[in-house]
Amino acid sequence: MLGFIIQRFIQAVGVMAVMSVIVFFGVYAIGNPIDIVIPPDATQEIRLEAIRRLGLDRPLYEQYFTFLANLLQGDLGRSFVYNMPVLELIGGRLPATLELVLISVISATVLGVSLGIYAGYRPDSWVSKTIMAVSVLGFSVPSFWVGLILILFFAVHLGWLPAGGRGDTVMIWGVAWSFPTLNGLSHIALPAVNLALFKLAMMIRLARAGTREIMLTDTIKFARAAGLSEATILRRHLLKLISIPIITVFGLELGSTLAFAVVTETIFSWPGVGKLIIDSIAVLDRPVMVAYLILVAFLFVTINFVIDLVFALIDPRVRDGASA
Amino acid sequence: MYYQKFLAPLAFTLSLTAAWAASAQTLTMGVRGGPESMDPHFSALGSHAEAAKHIFDTLVWSGTDLQIEPGLATSWTAIDDDTWEFKLREGVKFHDGSDFDAEDVKFSIERIPVVTGPTTTAIYVRRVESVDIIDPYTVHINTDGQAATLPNDFIRLFIVSSDAAAEYSTQETAAEGFNSGAATIGTGPYKYVSWEPNGDLVLERFNDYWRGMGAWETVIRKEIPNDSSRLAALKAGQVDVINYVSSVDYLALQQDADIDTVIGDSVYIMNLQLDQREDTPMVRANDGSELDENPFRDLKVRQAIDYAIDRETMVEIVLEGLGKPANQMMPVDFFGSNTDIPMPEYDPAKARELLADAGYPDGFQVDLYCTSDRLPGDAAICQGLGQMLTQAGITTNVNAISKTVYFPAQARLDYSMFMNGWGTLTGEASYTLGSLAHSNDPDLKLGAFNRIEYKNDEVDTLLQTGATMMDATARRAAYEDAMAKVMADKAYISLVQLQTVWAAKAGTLTFEPRFDEDTLAFYITPAS
Repeated sequence: MLGFIIQRFIQAVGVMAVMSVIVFFGVYAIGNPIDIVIPPDATQEIRLEAIRRLGLDRPLYEQYFTFLANLLQGDLGRSFVYNMPVLELIGGRLPATLELVLISVISATVLGVSLGIYAGYRPDSWVSKTIMAVSVLGFSVPSFWVGLILILFFAVHLGWLPAGGRGDTVMIWGVAWSFPTLNGLSHIALPAVNLALFKLAMMIRLARAGTREIMLTDTIKFARAAGLSEATILRRHLLKLISIPIITVFGLELGSTLAFAVVTETIFSWPGVGKLIIDSIAVLDRPVMVAYLILVAFLFVTINFVIDLVFALIDPRVRDGASA
Repeated sequence: MYYQKFLAPLAFTLSLTAAWAASAQTLTMGVRGGPESMDPHFSALGSHAEAAKHIFDTLVWSGTDLQIEPGLATSWTAIDDDTWEFKLREGVKFHDGSDFDAEDVKFSIERIPVVTGPTTTAIYVRRVESVDIIDPYTVHINTDGQAATLPNDFIRLFIVSSDAAAEYSTQETAAEGFNSGAATIGTGPYKYVSWEPNGDLVLERFNDYWRGMGAWETVIRKEIPNDSSRLAALKAGQVDVINYVSSVDYLALQQDADIDTVIGDSVYIMNLQLDQREDTPMVRANDGSELDENPFRDLKVRQAIDYAIDRETMVEIVLEGLGKPANQMMPVDFFGSNTDIPMPEYDPAKARELLADAGYPDGFQVDLYCTSDRLPGDAAICQGLGQMLTQAGITTNVNAISKTVYFPAQARLDYSMFMNGWGTLTGEASYTLGSLAHSNDPDLKLGAFNRIEYKNDEVDTLLQTGATMMDATARRAAYEDAMAKVMADKAYISLVQLQTVWAAKAGTLTFEPRFDEDTLAFYITPAS
C-alpha cells in the first residue's frame, strides 16, 4: 500500500512539473503580458520599467528556475494583475466553486443513478422512455444556451430566482459559504441545475446500461431463486455491481467540473475559480495560470487515487488483486 | 440521515439571511469590469480608475465632456518653464475625519512609481521631477522641461491619505493594506466597505463630502462581465443600472417599455493602421508570390483604401446605428481636433482607379488583423472592412482575434494592416498624436505606440514644439495642424467613433453619460 501511495505521489509531481513547463513556455510563445495591459500613453521607458519589474526581461529559463526555487519554499508567486499572492487569490474563490460543483455533481449522481436504474429495470414503461428522451436533451443542448434560457425563464420572466452572483454567505471555519443561507441557496439553484444537466444525462445512461446488463446475469437469477425481495436485489447486488463505472465517471466529472466550470460561472457571474482562470488567460496573468493548472493536475491525481481506494473497498476482486 | 445533516444548518441560519429587496437608498450597478486592487495607484485600467473615483478624488477633475475642471486643486498655473503651482482646496476631509493638505499630494505623487502594477500608473507622473510643499495648501510641481499638459496628466492622479497609507506603500504591502480597508481612506463621495477581486465592491456614503452628499446611502458595484448576464440581472431586478449594452440587445430594448437606455458618445475611435516599413510581412501578390515593395508606402494605395471604405454602412448596418463616421483620431470637439478635415468619400470606382495608377490593376492580398473582444463591434467592423476592401480589389483575409494575442503581436510589429480602437482619455491631442503619430523615439518619449513606423518630419516637429508651448491657443493650433497632416497621409485611417449604451429600469434614474464611459454613482440620481 505504501509503495502504491509513493508511486502515485511521484506520478503527481511529474504531471505537475510537466504542466508548469507547458504553461510557462506556452504563455511565452503568445507574447509579452505587458503589451496587453500597458496604458496607451506610456512611454518606451515606462514600458521597459514595467517589464523589468515583473522580471519578464530575463531569459525564460531563468524566470522558470526562479519560479521553481520559490515553489520549493511554498511560494507560488504573485498575480501580475492583482499583486496578491496567487494562493490567496485562488483560495478565496475555491469555496464558491467547491459548493456549486459538489451540490450539482452529487445531486446529478443521486438522481441520475436512481432514474437510470429505473429505466434499466423497466425498460419498456413510458416513464423510462420519457427519462431516456430527456437524457438525450441533456447531452445535446449546449450548456451556455441552457444557462441563458434558465436565466430568462426563472429570473427574468418569472422572477423567482436571482439571475446571477453568489448571494449571502456565512463564515464557517473562516471560509465564506453560501449554501447554509436561503438567499445563498436561491443563487446556487440555477447554476447548479445548469452544471448538473449534462452529468445527470450521463449518469442516467450509465446506470441504465449497467442495470440492463446485470439484470440478465446469473447473479440476479440465483438471488431471485433464493427468494430475496426485488428491493434487496437492487440495493445489495445490482447497485454494487454497476457502481464501478459510475464511480470512475463521478470522479472524473468532479475533477473536470471543479477545474473547468468556466461557462456556467461566466454566465451566472459566479465568483469561482473557473472565472478567475479565464480572466487570467485573457491578460496572460502567468503566475495565476501556472499555479492553477498545477493545482488542477494535483486535484486529478488525488481524485484518481481516492477512486482506486474506493474500488478496493467495494469490489473484492480489485482488493484481492491489489494484495496479491 | 443525509437530509438531517443538510437541513440543520439551513434552519439555523435562515434568520441570518438579510432582506434581499433593494431599498430606494441603495444603488446596485452591474458593470462589465472592475478594479484590480483597492490601491488606486496600482492600475491605470479604465474600470480601475472608475471604481477608485468613488472613494478617492483627483487634483484635476475631468468633466462629462473630458474638459478639465478644478477638483482637489482649485487652480493651477505654470509659474515658469518647468514649475506648475497648484492651489489646494481647503476644508476637505478624509473619510477618517483628518484634513486633506499638501502632504497628501506629495505623498501620493511619490508613492505611484513605487507601488504601480503592470498597467502602470507611472504615466500620470512621468513628467514630475519633484514636489515642493510651499504651504499646506500650495504645492509646486517641478517637471522635466516644459510640461504643458501636466494638468491633463493629473485627471487620474488619486490622492490617498499620507497617514493611513504610510505603512502600505511598498510593492509587498500595498495590496494588503488597501484591500483590507486599512489604507483605503480617501476624500471621495463614498467610503470603502468591502471588495473581492472580480466580485462586488460595496460602498457607503461619506456624509462630509466636499461636493455635497451623494444620493445613495449604499452603493454596490457588481462585476458581471458577460453582456447577456448583465442585461438579465437588470431585467430580473438584481441591479439598477448596467453599462456596455451590446448593440444587438440595444435594438431589442427599443421595444421594451420597462427599460430605459442612455446613449453616450465614446472616446474610442477605430483606426485602420497601414505598415510603412519597406518590408512588410503580411502582404502578397494575388498568386501568393512576394511583391517588390510594400504597397502601403504608396500614398495612392492608401487613398484607394480610404475611398473603398463606406463609413455610413459601417455605422448603420454593422454597428446598428451606435456610432458615427470618423475622419480623425479624436472626437471633433477635443483639444487639437481639426474641424477643417473633410469626411472621406466612399467611391469604390475611384479606389480601383487609384490602385491601377499605383501599379496594382488586379490588386494584391493582405491579412487584416483586429481585436474581437475589446470594444463593442470590433470584430463586426473588421469583417465589414474586409468585404469592402476585397470589393475594391484588395483581397483581404480577415483575422479578428482576441486582444490577448493581438496586442503582443502588434507590439512585435508582426502585422501589415491592423485595426483597433484608441480612446483619447485625456481629451487632448498630445495623448493621441504623441503616442501614435510621432516617429518612435524613446529619447523624446514620443511615438511609443507607433507600430507602423510612420514618420513625417513636419508632424514630428509640430508635436515636439507643441508639447512645450505653454500658451494654449498656440498649442491647439500646432496640434490641429499636425492632425490634418497625419490624416492626409492616410497611414492611419479613422473609421468610426463608437457609442456606449447604459440601461436602467424605466423612470428610476437620471444620469448624464460621460465621454470616458465611467459609471459614477455620485452623478446618478433617483428620478424624481
